[in-house]
Amino acid sequence: MEVNRRDFLKIIGIGGATAAMAGCGAQPPESLIPYVVPPEEIIPGEATWYATVCRECPAGCGMLVKTMEGRAIKVEGNPDHPVNRGRLCARGQASLQGLYNPDRIRQPLRKGTDGSWGPTSWEEGEKALAARLAELKGRRGRVALVTPLVTGSLDRLIDEWLRAVGGGSRLRYEAVSHEPLREANRLAFGVAAVPFYDLEQAELILSFGADFLETWLSPVEHARQFGAMRTYRDGRMGRFTYIGPRLSLTGANADEWIAVRPGTEGVLALGMIHAILAEGLATALPASEEAALRRLVEGWTPAETAEQAGISPDKVRVLARAFARSRPSLAVADGKTSNGTDICLATTLLNYVAGNVGRTVRFGPTAAAGRTSPYREMRTLLQSMEKGEVSLVLLAGVNPAFTLPEGERFRKALEKVPLVVSFASFPDETAMASHLILPDHTFLEGWSDIEPWDGIQGLQQPTMRPLYETKALGDVLLSVARRMGLEQQLPWEDFPAYLKDQWKGLHRHSGPAEDFETFWARALQQGGLFRSVPLRPVRPNPEVFRHRFEAPRFAGESEGLTLIPYPSPIFYDGRTANRPWLQELPDALTQIVWDNWIDMHPADAKRLGVSEGELLRVQSPLGTLELPAHLSGGVRLGTAAVAVGQGHSAFGRYAEGRGANPLPLLPAEPETASGGQPWIATRVLVTRTGRRHLLASTTGSDRPHDRGIIQTVPLAEVQRLREPEKHPHLLQMYPEHSHPKHRWGMTIDLNACIGCGACVTACYAENNIPVMGKVQVAKGREMSWIRVQRVDEGAPDYPEHRFLPMLCQQCDNAPCESVCPVYATYHNQEGLNVQVYNRCVGTRYCSNNCPYKVRRFNWFMAEWPEPLHLQLNPDVTVRSMGVMEKCTFCVQRIQGGKLQAKVEGRAVRDGEIVPACAQTCPTRAIVFGDLKDLDSEVSRRSKDPRRYRVLEYLNTQPAITYLKKITAGPVEG
Amino acid sequence: MSNLTYSQVDRDILQAMKAPGWRYYVVFFANLLVLLWGIFAWQYTVQRGLGVWGLTHPVMWAMDITNFVFWVGIAHSGTLISAILYLFRVRWRASVYRTAEAVTVFALLTAGLFPLIHLGRPWFFYWLLPYPQVGGLWVNFRSPLIWDVFAVMTYMIISVLFFFTGLVPDVAVVRNRTTGWRHHLYAFLAQGWQGTDRQWRHYKAAYLFLAALATPLVVSVHSVVSWDFAQSIVAGWHSTIFAPYFVAGAIHSGLAMVITLLIPLRRIFRLDTYLTQTHLENLAKLIILTGLIVGYAYVVETYIAWYSNNVPEWQRFVYQVTGEYAVPFWIMILFNSLVPLLFFVKRIRTSTPWLLGISILINIGMWCERFVIIVTGLAHEYDPYSWGLFIPTWVDISITLGAFAWFFFWFLLFAKLLPVISIVEVKEELPPPMKSTGSEA
Repeated sequence: MEVNRRDFLKIIGIGGATAAMAGCGAQPPESLIPYVVPPEEIIPGEATWYATVCRECPAGCGMLVKTMEGRAIKVEGNPDHPVNRGRLCARGQASLQGLYNPDRIRQPLRKGTDGSWGPTSWEEGEKALAARLAELKGRRGRVALVTPLVTGSLDRLIDEWLRAVGGGSRLRYEAVSHEPLREANRLAFGVAAVPFYDLEQAELILSFGADFLETWLSPVEHARQFGAMRTYRDGRMGRFTYIGPRLSLTGANADEWIAVRPGTEGVLALGMIHAILAEGLATALPASEEAALRRLVEGWTPAETAEQAGISPDKVRVLARAFARSRPSLAVADGKTSNGTDICLATTLLNYVAGNVGRTVRFGPTAAAGRTSPYREMRTLLQSMEKGEVSLVLLAGVNPAFTLPEGERFRKALEKVPLVVSFASFPDETAMASHLILPDHTFLEGWSDIEPWDGIQGLQQPTMRPLYETKALGDVLLSVARRMGLEQQLPWEDFPAYLKDQWKGLHRHSGPAEDFETFWARALQQGGLFRSVPLRPVRPNPEVFRHRFEAPRFAGESEGLTLIPYPSPIFYDGRTANRPWLQELPDALTQIVWDNWIDMHPADAKRLGVSEGELLRVQSPLGTLELPAHLSGGVRLGTAAVAVGQGHSAFGRYAEGRGANPLPLLPAEPETASGGQPWIATRVLVTRTGRRHLLASTTGSDRPHDRGIIQTVPLAEVQRLREPEKHPHLLQMYPEHSHPKHRWGMTIDLNACIGCGACVTACYAENNIPVMGKVQVAKGREMSWIRVQRVDEGAPDYPEHRFLPMLCQQCDNAPCESVCPVYATYHNQEGLNVQVYNRCVGTRYCSNNCPYKVRRFNWFMAEWPEPLHLQLNPDVTVRSMGVMEKCTFCVQRIQGGKLQAKVEGRAVRDGEIVPACAQTCPTRAIVFGDLKDLDSEVSRRSKDPRRYRVLEYLNTQPAITYLKKITAGPVEG
Repeated sequence: MSNLTYSQVDRDILQAMKAPGWRYYVVFFANLLVLLWGIFAWQYTVQRGLGVWGLTHPVMWAMDITNFVFWVGIAHSGTLISAILYLFRVRWRASVYRTAEAVTVFALLTAGLFPLIHLGRPWFFYWLLPYPQVGGLWVNFRSPLIWDVFAVMTYMIISVLFFFTGLVPDVAVVRNRTTGWRHHLYAFLAQGWQGTDRQWRHYKAAYLFLAALATPLVVSVHSVVSWDFAQSIVAGWHSTIFAPYFVAGAIHSGLAMVITLLIPLRRIFRLDTYLTQTHLENLAKLIILTGLIVGYAYVVETYIAWYSNNVPEWQRFVYQVTGEYAVPFWIMILFNSLVPLLFFVKRIRTSTPWLLGISILINIGMWCERFVIIVTGLAHEYDPYSWGLFIPTWVDISITLGAFAWFFFWFLLFAKLLPVISIVEVKEELPPPMKSTGSEA
C-alpha cells in the first residue's frame, strides 16, 4: 500500500483545505448539513456523517456516509429510513468503489473523427449540445433522452427541460424491471402499479420465481421483512416455499424448493386457485366473484396443472390448503417468460382468493419500480435510430449496449445518430459508442431526491467535493437551457436550487408548522421526508375473469436446454461489475469469484459428457457464447442458468473480459401483454469445446463431512431443546482469563442469515482489506476477515444450502495465542484476541493452529490503485507484507465507543458499539455486545436454547455463539 | 586393517587432502551454481513476499518446514554415531564418525536456515531470541517455536564443539605437514596440540564429557522439533507418538545420508581399507532397527486414527492415503519401512550398489514423510470449507535444491580441507608400532 506519511499529510491537507474553504473551487459553494455535528466543527480525525440515498439499484435505500477529512470512507444504512432501516446490501456497501473507481471518466471527453477520445471542456461540450438542440428545435421526435428509473425532482426537471428544448422522447429504462407485474395489477384491479408487499406479516410466502432477497424490487427491505417473518416465536415461524426452475439464493432460504418447468409458475398458481375454490377455503370471496373465478380456472385442475408444471398433483393441493389456511399468506412473482404477465396475474389472483390483498399486498404505497418505461419502447427507439429518425440521443446512467438483448445492434444504431451524448461516469459499452461524454457526478457527490415508494422522499446530498471535473446531470441540463436562452422556462441557476424549490412545495403541503429552513435542515439530517400513505382499496376488474392464460414460448431447438439468465445478486444488471470488492465477493451458492459460468444439472452434464470447469459453447438461434460449466442440482433438469452482469467488453479494468453476457442470446421480441423483456425465452444447444477454464472458488469442500460446523434443528423440536450439555470441566494448566470490565461477544442467528454477503463487503470497506484477484483467490489467498461459508447438505438434485458467517471466534482458549513465539497475538482484558501487526514476524503457526481458519496472511504488499486508496479507513492500519491479520471485532469502533462514553461520563450502552458486519446485516442475524452486561441483547441471545459453538469439543471457548438454523421442511396442508 | 602401520594411516588418510583435480572443481562449481540459484529464489521471496511460494490459506507451512525437519533429522546420525556409540565403546565407529559428525554440523547449518527463510518478515528473525529489549518485549515460552530456537541452537553449539574437539589431534598431524595459510588454519584448529600425556588426558576427558552431553540431545532435539506439531491441535499433528517417532525417523534418515555420502567418499579417496564393508553393513543393520521403529509408528498412527473415533482425525488419515498427496504417502511407506527390510538379506546389505540405492530411497522417503505429515494435516483440517491444496512453485523447488547445494558446498570443502576419517581413532585400533616411525600422535 502506498499511503506513506507524505500521502497521509497530503490527504489531511486536502481535507483540511476542503473544510476551510467549504467547497470553493470549480463548484459553487454548498452548505452541507452533517448528520450529527454542525459543519464548522469538522475536527481532523473525527468522522462527519451525511445522510443520503443509495443509488446502486432503484430500491432507494437510505444511507449514511462517514467522511473523514473530506473523504467518504464508509457507507452504512440510515436507521431512520423506512426502506432499509439502517441496513445495506453488498452492492450498497461497495458504492464507494464507484466513487473512487480508478477507471472513472475524469473530465468531458469528445470522440475525434478517427474514433479516438480526447479531452474537451465543459464550455465546449455544453455548447455543442446546446447548438444541436437549437438546430433540432421544432422538429418533433428527433431527440431521445434515456435515463434509468429517475424519480423525484430530477425526473420532473428532465421532463420540463425536454419540453422546453423542443420535446423528444423520454425513456426510463431499467434492464431489471417489472412490466409484467404492473400489467398484471392493471388487468386484475385496474391499477397499473407495483403494490407494496408486506413479507413480514405473512405466515406463508410463496415465491413464484421472485428473488426478493437479491434483486427483486427492494432486496434489503425484503430481507429485513423476511428475517422478521422467519423469527421463531412460541413454536411457530413464518414458512416459505420457492417455486421456479432455478434454485436462487432466495430459494436456498426457503423451506422447500419446487422445481417447476420454466414458465409454468402461473399454471401452478391457477391449479392452487382451483383447489382452494374446490375445497371451499376461499371464505372471504363474494359469491359472484367466486363463481366467475371458478369459470376462469375451470380447466386448471390440480392434476392438469401438476402435469404441466412437472410436479405431483398432491403438491398442488397441499400448497393450496396451506396457502389458504395461513392468514395472511403472500404470493410474490416475477414474470420472466413470454407469459410473464400471466404468471403475475395468476399469483395476484391467488393472493386475492386467499384474502391477502389489502393485508400483505397493499395498494396506496406503490413502488416507483412500476414506473419504468416498457422495454418495448427501447426497441422502438432502436428501430427509429436505425431508420435515421433520431438526430440526438442523450444517455444518462444507462448501458443498453450491454443490457439489451440487441445490445450490439443498439451500438450500431447509435452510429446512425448524428450526435450521441452520454452522461456516463464510467467508460462502459454505451458511453464508448457515444460522441460526447459529459460525465455526471457519482451519487455520493451530487444532489437529488429519490422516491422509491409513494410517501418516501429520500434526500441525496453530496458527501464530499467531486473528485474530478464532473458535473451533475441536472446542472448540465439547466446550463444548456441557459445557453439556449430558455431562462424564462427554466429560471433556476442550478439543480440544487431547483431541488430546494421543489421541496418548498413539499413544505407548503406538509403544513407550515416550522419555517422552510428548519424543515429542510431536518429533512437533510434524517435523510428525507417519510410519510405514510393511506391504503387504497381495490376491487377486481370484471374483465379479468375472462382472461386467457397462455403457455410460455421458447425460441430454439426443442432438444436444447432452456436458458435461465438472471440478474446477478452481486452485479445486478452489470452496473456494479467494476467494483473489485464485489468481484471478490463469492457468489453465495457457488462461492465462485471474478467470473461467471453456466449452471447445469449433473444429469444433463452426464448426458452431454460435460465436466465441471469445462468451457462450453452455448448456442441460441440468436448467438453463441462460451462459458465454463458448473454442475449444480440447483437447476431443473433440462435447464441451464447464467448470471447477467459479467462479460463486459468495456467498463474498466475490473470488469472487462470476464465471463460472458448471456443477454445477446435472447430473442428481442417484447412480451405481448406488458411490453417487458422476457429473460427466460430461449433454448440453447450446449456443446463441448474440450478446453478448460479455471473457476476460482473460495470453498474447499461443498459438503459437511460430519463436522457439525453448521447445525440445524427441526422446527418441531425447537421447543423441546434443553440446555446444551455442558462439557466436563477440563483441567487447565493456566488460569482462566479475567475480563474485569467488558467481555465482547457476538451471536449469529443462522436462522436469520440469508447468505447475502453484505457483511463481507462491509468488512472490506471498514478494515482496509485488500482485493487479491482471481489467480490469488484460486490459490486460497483471499483476505476476507469474515466469510459466509456455504455447505450443501442436500441430495444431488435437491441442494440444501446452509450458510454460516465465519470470522475470528475471539477464543478464550485461543490455539493461535499459545503458539506465537513473539506474543504478536494475545488475549486482552476485554476478551479480544488481539493481533499486533508490528510485532508479527510471520511464522504463520497461528493460522495453522486455528481450527476455524480465519487468519489471513499478507502474501504480498497490497495495492490500491489510485484513487481507491482515498477510501482507506484512517482508523485502521494498512497491513504490510509478511504479517498475519484477522477480524478484530472492529476494535477501532470499540475504542471509539468507549471513548465517547468516557467523554460523556457514562457507561457504554448496549448496541452503541457495532462492528461493520453486524451493522449492515439486513436480517439482524449478527448481534454484538458486552457479555459482562447480563441485560445486553448479546447476553440474552447467547442463552437461547438453540445456541452452540463451532467445534466446541476443541475447548477453544469462542466468544461467538451461533444459534442453530431451524429447518421446517415442506409445508403441510 | 590390522596390518597397517601408523605412517601408512597418515599417508592414506591425508592423501585425500591433496590439491583437487578438475573433476572436483566441476562438481564444486556446478553445486555453487545451484546454491546461487537458490539464494536468488530466496531473495525473490523476500522482495515479493511469500506469495511467490505455493503456500495457501490452510497450508501455511509446506516445503520450508519440510526442509527444516528433514535437515534436523539428517543431523541426528552424526551424534548417534559419534557420541552414543562412543559411550558404548562400539569400535567400528572410528572409521565413520568424522564424516557422520560433519554431516551433523552441515545439516544443522542447512536446517538452521529454514526457520529464517520461512518467516514472513525474515529481517526480524532476532525477535525470536530472548534479548533485553527497551520496550520490555519478550518471547513466548509457551510456543514450541521458541523451544525450537533453543533446541536447535544448543544442538548446534554442542555438535560444533564436539566436531572440533575430535579434530584436534588430527589437525595437529596436518599442521605439521602443511605450510602457508593452511598451516595457519590448522595451527589454529589444533589449538597448540603437542600430544603430551597431560593433553591426552584432558582431551579424553573433554571428549567423553561432550559425548555424554551430546547423547541426550539426540533424543531431545528431534523431540522438540516434533512438538512443533504435536503441541498443535491440527488433526494428524496432535499425537503423543510424535517424539519417539520423529527421533527414530531422524536417525533413520541420518544413517541413510551417511551411507549415501560414505560410499562415494570411499571410492573417490580410495579408503576401502579404512571404510570396510563391515562398517557399511553395521550401518545397514542400524537402519533395519530404525526402519522397523518408523514402520511401527506408521501402524500405530493409523490404528489410533481409527481407534480414536475422531471424525477429523480419521478423515484426514483417509485423505492422506487416498487424496492428492497419496503418492508421497505411499513413497514414504514403501521407502522408509518396507525397502529397508531388504537389509535383512546379507547379500544386499553387503552389496555397495544396493546399499547406495536403498539409502538414497530412504532419503527420498524421509523427505516425503515430513512433507506428508505437514501438508496433509493442514490441507484437510477441521473446517471443510477451508480445505486447500499446496502446489509447489519454482521458488519452493529452487530453495529446496539450494538447501541441498548449501549442504554439499560445506561437505565438498570438508572433504578437501579436513581428514575425513579420524586418524587418531583408527590408530587406536591398530597394534602399537614396535619402533618409532617418526610420526606424531
